Amino acid sequence: MNFGQILLESFRSLAANRLRTGLTMLGIIIGIASVVLMLAVGDAVRAFINKELAVLGSNQLIVQPGTPTEGGARRRTNDAPTLSIDDAIAISSLPSLRGAAPTLQGFFQVLYGDDNSSSTVLGVTPDMFALRNWKIDRGVPLADADVRSANRVIVIGSNIANKYYYQRDPLGQVLRVDGRPFTVIGVMAGSGRTLDGSDLGELMVVPITAIPVRMPRPRTVHYITAQAKNEALMQEAENDIKELLRDRHHIAGDKLDDFQVTNLASIAATGEAIGAGLSIGLGVVGAISLIVGGIGIMNIMLVSVSERVREIGIRMAIGAKPKHILVQFLSEAVVMCIVGGLIGVALAALGSWGVNSTGKFEMELNASHVMTAVFFSTAVGLFFGYYPARRASRMLPIECLRQD
Amino acid sequence: MALIALSNISKSYVTGDVTTPVLHGIDLQVQKGDYLAMMGPSGSGKSTLMNLLGLLDRADGGSYHLGGKEVTTLNASQHAEVRNKTIGFVFQSFNLLKRMNVLENVALPLLYAGMGRSNAKLRAQALLDQVGLAALGHRMPNQLSGGQQQRVAIARALVNSPPVLLADEPTGNLDSATTEEVLGVIDLLNREQGLTIIVVTHEIEVARHAKRLVRLKDGRIVFDGAPA
Repeated sequence: MNFGQILLESFRSLAANRLRTGLTMLGIIIGIASVVLMLAVGDAVRAFINKELAVLGSNQLIVQPGTPTEGGARRRTNDAPTLSIDDAIAISSLPSLRGAAPTLQGFFQVLYGDDNSSSTVLGVTPDMFALRNWKIDRGVPLADADVRSANRVIVIGSNIANKYYYQRDPLGQVLRVDGRPFTVIGVMAGSGRTLDGSDLGELMVVPITAIPVRMPRPRTVHYITAQAKNEALMQEAENDIKELLRDRHHIAGDKLDDFQVTNLASIAATGEAIGAGLSIGLGVVGAISLIVGGIGIMNIMLVSVSERVREIGIRMAIGAKPKHILVQFLSEAVVMCIVGGLIGVALAALGSWGVNSTGKFEMELNASHVMTAVFFSTAVGLFFGYYPARRASRMLPIECLRQD
Repeated sequence: MALIALSNISKSYVTGDVTTPVLHGIDLQVQKGDYLAMMGPSGSGKSTLMNLLGLLDRADGGSYHLGGKEVTTLNASQHAEVRNKTIGFVFQSFNLLKRMNVLENVALPLLYAGMGRSNAKLRAQALLDQVGLAALGHRMPNQLSGGQQQRVAIARALVNSPPVLLADEPTGNLDSATTEEVLGVIDLLNREQGLTIIVVTHEIEVARHAKRLVRLKDGRIVFDGAPA
């Protein structure tokens, strides 16, 4: 008995009981649809986090002043005057690092024409543009000369540019930051909130030497952004920075650091873990509904076997071997599961289309999701179809033929 | 050597605590080309004996040689193969599969034997021609008369060219005209193709078609000779 014949007979007997087959498949349809959707949601969350991290810049380490939080006690950081521009320069020449850049930041009144608002302004060095992956849309980025001469120039985000200079050229215009005039020399590309809480479109960046921030000690900064040469060097870079700063700050023995290093790779790993956790958690929900669906399949297959005892007897009488009967009933269960699985995938595709059309979240089904669905539905069919099929195949022909 | 040789075959049915013996040490030999009718009152064990001969059931004791080989020790899968290739079985209630058309019913044993679908259909069509139903291959079984259904069942029983045809009350559900029609087909198979035939019946008119009559009573053979 060949494969085509087995399939033909399976479809024929399933079609003979359309309502029952449909209802039985419903469990598998819902199970597979939820498994596929959940996998896709998990992937989408992971992709979202990775995209955000890429905006922030890759392989980043943030060095902040202050003692690391211990035992759950949060300590105020950023304002302690323990990190300096010279620390940043020293860090940037570490072999495990591609570069490091210091940042000062302040919350200032920003005036343009009649518009009076308060914004965060960053004081940085030109290196920051490469570290943070900031791209210039129009104009130029900050230059070394701007830092050296403390030029009052400013690079603004695209949202700011649109707000202040709607349909006009922002370059060469003058903004007042804390009452001081700054000339716009560049507009950054892109917008959107990044994982560190800032919005690319709302950035205002000036030379670190020109920002009107008064620190308790000269040349101290709020934080230093560093970038490791590659992902594999992240841990080494973190250790190098700690060692270097302890040495520079004369922290000996078991005394606590007066700074803390945040490894953004660990944030990426957390994001990855959130995505994976979501996939697993939601996948378990899907798996449970698949098991419930599988039990439905088993139940209906048992009913089907006992209803068709006579047919089994006739087939055996004309030469069907136990394995023929086994394969026949198993294939009915598997066909039901695979058809249900495919419908489930279609339903999941519809669901993800619905989610995408809200515009709030982006997800897509890929081949691996479909393969997973087909694999699981086949497995469910085989697992839950086996017992009824085996029961059918083990009957004695005369016992089957005696029943009506 | 006899095609079928039963020796000391016994069979009991167990219902709860009660064991009911049905066959007591049956000895029977059937030669190739024989045409044997089996008669007996209900409960005499004739159908049970038929089921054992057709390997639809297993004996409790004794030996059964079919074509010179002991078959009581074979497993379920080997029994299926014997039923497929060596024994054709015709039932009182026809036992056609109602979801398949006539041609597919006749071809099914060939598919179980491993033949491809198109070859099986050709062969099945030839058998339908032989029982005079060449034009009805695409009908469903319930669209045929009783006599026609039984002829389809005979075609199905013979499609794998078995040497033995077993028929359990083949005319039990038929009126007298169609009974003659079906018996005519069976007679012809014995006479022209030398097929070995065993028919269970309770009608002496049917038994008269056979060359040999075996009467059973209370699980024992009480008569073995020419039909009266």
